[in-house]
Amino acid sequence: MAARVLQQCVRSFARPTLRLCSSNLVVRAAAAPSAALHRPLSSVADTGRTRWLGQNRTPPLTVLCRQYGDLPPLTLENIKDRVMYVLKLYDKISPEKLQTTSHFMKDLGLDSLDQVEIIMAMEDEFGFEIPDAEAEKLMTPDEIVQYVADKKDVYE
Amino acid sequence: MAASTRLQVISLYRMMMRESQKFPSYNYRTYALRRVRDAFRANRKVDDPKAVQRLMMEGQQTLALIQRQASIGKMYQAQKIVVE
Repeated sequence: MAARVLQQCVRSFARPTLRLCSSNLVVRAAAAPSAALHRPLSSVADTGRTRWLGQNRTPPLTVLCRQYGDLPPLTLENIKDRVMYVLKLYDKISPEKLQTTSHFMKDLGLDSLDQVEIIMAMEDEFGFEIPDAEAEKLMTPDEIVQYVADKKDVYE
Repeated sequence: MAASTRLQVISLYRMMMRESQKFPSYNYRTYALRRVRDAFRANRKVDDPKAVQRLMMEGQQTLALIQRQASIGKMYQAQKIVVE
């Protein structure tokens, strides 16, 4: 392969004008410097080889780089982590006292207004609305995790 | 406070917070959220049914005001500021 590239470069070195006319690669024609005549043969061969390899490598790269904008799939573990993260950020809860089973009012000393705010923070985090009747019943992190999992169809 | 009034107050609080979040402008939005939160906190200990009734009426009017102002704000949206 290297020999072929070298040969091609030597040939094009001999007839630079002809190569410009008959070149099948637009990139090569555009990038071919007229100063190539004055360069030593080895450097011309080098650039030719790297360019050739580069062209060969691009299509699989574009295929590999293709990605879709979506969140990772929800799991119970995942939901629990996000719920606990939101609760830790809430300024009236001390992160040391927080546990998955702790009751917002009895254990953490929050009032009903704080509970409403927590539920609204959960709505923001998971991107759906929780109706009032159900929001009142969610009093522990575990219950929130269970409720979100039910709504998002996540099971073990 | 009777259980029914308690539920009404909490429901009003939730609605006011939800409507306040709809302000497109960062300054108005944070002000409204803080104001609603502080007002409910300040009147947390009110026991007199008449006073509660009066505050509820006031809250309803403020809720309507927030809704109006938020929808007016949507008509004149500006570019988001750096803190957002």
